[in-house]
Amino acid sequence: MELLLWLENTSFATWVREGNTIFAYPTILFLHTLGLATVVGLSTVLNLRVLGIARKLPFAVLTPFIPVIWIAFAVTAASGVALFVANPGPRVESLVFFIKLVFVALAVATLHLMAKRIFRNPLADQSPLPRQARVLAVASMLFWVAATTAGRLMAYIV
Amino acid sequence: MTLSHLHLVLNHVPVVGSVVAFGLLLLALVRHSADLRRAALEVVVLVGLFSLPAYLSGAGAQPELADKSAAAVAMVRAHHDAALLGSIAMLPTVMLAWVGLWQTRRLTRPARGVFGAVLLLAIVTLALMGRAANLGGLIRHPEVTALQAAQTAESAGWMTAWIARVGTLGTWAWPAAEALHFIGMALLFGILLAVNLRLLGMMKPVAFSVLHRLLPWAMLGLTINVVTGMVFVIGLPSQYAGWPFYWKIGLLIVGGAQLLYLTIADAPWNVTAGKNAPVLARTLASTGIVAWLVVMYFGRMLPYLGNSF
Repeated sequence: MELLLWLENTSFATWVREGNTIFAYPTILFLHTLGLATVVGLSTVLNLRVLGIARKLPFAVLTPFIPVIWIAFAVTAASGVALFVANPGPRVESLVFFIKLVFVALAVATLHLMAKRIFRNPLADQSPLPRQARVLAVASMLFWVAATTAGRLMAYIV
Repeated sequence: MTLSHLHLVLNHVPVVGSVVAFGLLLLALVRHSADLRRAALEVVVLVGLFSLPAYLSGAGAQPELADKSAAAVAMVRAHHDAALLGSIAMLPTVMLAWVGLWQTRRLTRPARGVFGAVLLLAIVTLALMGRAANLGGLIRHPEVTALQAAQTAESAGWMTAWIARVGTLGTWAWPAAEALHFIGMALLFGILLAVNLRLLGMMKPVAFSVLHRLLPWAMLGLTINVVTGMVFVIGLPSQYAGWPFYWKIGLLIVGGAQLLYLTIADAPWNVTAGKNAPVLARTLASTGIVAWLVVMYFGRMLPYLGNSF
């Protein structure tokens, strides 16, 4: 708790929270939104492909999206940390925030697994996908929906 | 220019537009012309896109009339309900017309029944939009309304009043709609980002037509966001009368038109495997991505630049 208090009182956290400029809290919040839209949206493209939409699209062609998703995730995570330190008190005690973090972690782990097993696997385009691949894709979509919903609900239930 | 004034200019789009769209659909049917059929479906989608600011300017103008007589307020409510009903009919008409266009591109013609269903829905839309226009016309003409206002006031605006009540007073509806609005946003933005990036040179080994297959998912995201967005506007219209929101809607029309371009235009469709897209297609791809970025920016900034929460 002392660490949180210290974080909250750093000049950066104070600027995010109290800075009387559009570039403080509002712009950081926009970067968080833009990052999540890119991460969730592009992950959906990958998941839909695994589920059989646009079958003629080789997995190998989609691999360049994986670093793009990771960069967007870094933007989302960094802006998320900035928003967190601005006002950590209510968030550490919030069940919704905890649920959100759990689903983000699950979604990120699923993405990593799918990147390794499917999109960076040279054999994936040659043979039909195993059933587990579809399970991963459905799980990934559900995790992102849950994480996004919990994140949005933080504005109402904290 | 006040919102009421803007609404008086824009309100012709859904009514006259529906008449034109219906006429073209009928003509395409009589003439058995594939070109006319495609043009008619395109007009349905464009009328739908440009009806959005007509509806929103009307909803936003309501507070301007708050100090008018009780009869005028009742007429506004009745007109809003009628316009919402017309919009509820227009939404599936536009979505189905878009599906028809998507199929036209992929299979050379809409699937059996799609065109007929659009035609039937267009008749319903036309009738309901005509009714909305009629009720709207009464608002500013007290000489016509004395009797009708008294009759209409009885049951005025139950539908929009119900949505506003459930949307704002209920504890779950607004947050649920916000969550859906974000999921729709991610779907729309992510799919269109990927498809437009093909035109900008990413995923060059595949033809554009392969990515075209993903477009219905972007349309699903757009539909979710139009519906949830209307809940917000009906719930708290005064939050959405301000320049950040006008920018959002203006750029939404640009993004929507670019989605129509991706769906049906020849230039992107003809980008085969290994080929670069022509300059115009690349310019429009960048325009589409930027338009959605601006839509998200002003949407997210509404609480800070405008006055919403």
